[in-house]
Amino acid sequence: MKNVIIGQYIPGSSFFYHIDPRTKIIAVVVLMVATFLLETIWQVLIGFGIALILIIAGRVPIRKIVKGLKPLYVLLLFTLVFQIAFNRVGTIVLDATMQISPFSILFMIAATIIWRLLASFKKFSLLLFFAYLVGLFFIMKNLAFSPLWTTWQLTIYDQGLIMSGFVIIRLLIIITLSTVLTLTTKPTELTQGLESLLRPLKAIGLNSEDFALIISISLRYIPTILDEANKIMNAQASRGADFAEGRLKDKVVQVISLLVPMFIIAFKRSEELADAMESRNFVPGKPRTRIHDLKFNYRDLITTVITVLCLAGSILVKVL
Amino acid sequence: MSYIDIQNINFAYHPKRPILQNLSLSIDKGQWIAILGHNGSGKSTLAKAIIGLLEPDFGTIDIDGMTLSPTTVYEIRKKIGIVFQNPDNQFVGVTVRDDIAFGMENLGVPQAEMLEKIDFYAEKVGMKAFLDKEPAELSGGQKQRVAIAGILAMQMDAIIFDEATSMLDPTARRELMDYIRELHNEGLTIIMITHDIEEALWAQRLVIIKDGTVFRQGTREELLKEPVTFIEAGLELPVGLQISNALKQMNALSLELEEHLWESSLKK
Repeated sequence: MKNVIIGQYIPGSSFFYHIDPRTKIIAVVVLMVATFLLETIWQVLIGFGIALILIIAGRVPIRKIVKGLKPLYVLLLFTLVFQIAFNRVGTIVLDATMQISPFSILFMIAATIIWRLLASFKKFSLLLFFAYLVGLFFIMKNLAFSPLWTTWQLTIYDQGLIMSGFVIIRLLIIITLSTVLTLTTKPTELTQGLESLLRPLKAIGLNSEDFALIISISLRYIPTILDEANKIMNAQASRGADFAEGRLKDKVVQVISLLVPMFIIAFKRSEELADAMESRNFVPGKPRTRIHDLKFNYRDLITTVITVLCLAGSILVKVL
Repeated sequence: MSYIDIQNINFAYHPKRPILQNLSLSIDKGQWIAILGHNGSGKSTLAKAIIGLLEPDFGTIDIDGMTLSPTTVYEIRKKIGIVFQNPDNQFVGVTVRDDIAFGMENLGVPQAEMLEKIDFYAEKVGMKAFLDKEPAELSGGQKQRVAIAGILAMQMDAIIFDEATSMLDPTARRELMDYIRELHNEGLTIIMITHDIEEALWAQRLVIIKDGTVFRQGTREELLKEPVTFIEAGLELPVGLQISNALKQMNALSLELEEHLWESSLKK
């Protein structure tokens, strides 16, 4: 549990690492807005191309970005299915009669079992999934034999495909942008950047310095608390608790038996931490100096120029 | 006039269970003093009262000529630092560098001066190579040294160690004690709060706290003359003296051996 890395930051030294976090945050937000201004598949493809060029130029590991996409597979798939099933615009690309019979159901079950068996090849999981979908399609279209129970019509329109492509690529751009931000910026720099950007909000009573301190202390205590959780789990496991198995109800009870001591310990810790901070002259809301200074340099200028160009480009294509 | 002057302080979380009762104590500048007591004797509460984390119900605390009050507490915290027991719960920064800087940031020290001081004091406590490390990568002893560097960087007059060694392994404890002696030699006032006599014997003066008030005080030689005092205060004698007492009971103690055991207890 030691040395847990918080956030996705991976150490590096390319261009992106030396941009001021404020510039990076604003650039990412502006580029996201620019992405949403795009309207056709060709435009988003060009946008995606630009994003890819930037990633390669910044030497950000693409593997990590793909990893960042994982939680969104379901969303992407849903978009695809939804667009294909309900979009009824444009010309028909595919119009197939799908047949359901006892045989085809058996074949489908067999295909599912094979797919699950191959699931251990995690590297190809996406590829296997598509192969599985194609397999199901093939079975329903060609391997029905008799007796037929029912049939249904699968109709795919070209606009459905294009729209799903459009939506998916747009999502890809946005996720890529935010992943590049978190991969190349330390959590502390991010909070510092946010703090600096939120400073004007002091006028409405929000103290961004306190806010940033809260975030950085939370980040600092995550590994400590995880370590603590691990200790408690071990202590409870040594007395016969089992966190991995059991019915749902048992699991809930186990989690509660973990959460209660965790809460108590966290409160004790925060009390001691508050004492330690106070005794080191911390006074909430009082102005403090900083050892880390944010400074703009030529890289920020380049970033700003590229960002503005991208935004201008997307506004231009929208107007024209 | 002594540096810290505590006059008749009383403190209780609950009226029926007083923690400090009529405690008076004075500490001179540059002194190394050990405040000894068993668990629940009120010694940690005393430390918190000196640094102004708790306000006594009665009594006054004067530090360097200032009476501790809500207005002077910030001035006093610029003079006295405290190292707590749990190294993890006082590490505020994300890295060693940030943690040493924390106190200075609060005081508004300019950036350039801060960076200079961080380098200097990190070097001093032997943590220069670890400046960019995160707390999870450090041992308990290293974290305590970072806490000391943070206090030294604020140019304090005195440091309170509130059971600061109790969560360390023997080697780290020994190192920290050696380091504390160095600080004392440089003129810092050291207030050590502990329940461990062996550790208290490093100090020039011992104050035994029992039931929230001063039970006995004196130099270590004075107090060790009546070992029964420690037992009455609920403390454990140093191993050397325990052996000496046991041998005395068996009538097997030669004068030579007794002297040797005494010396070994006192030799620090």
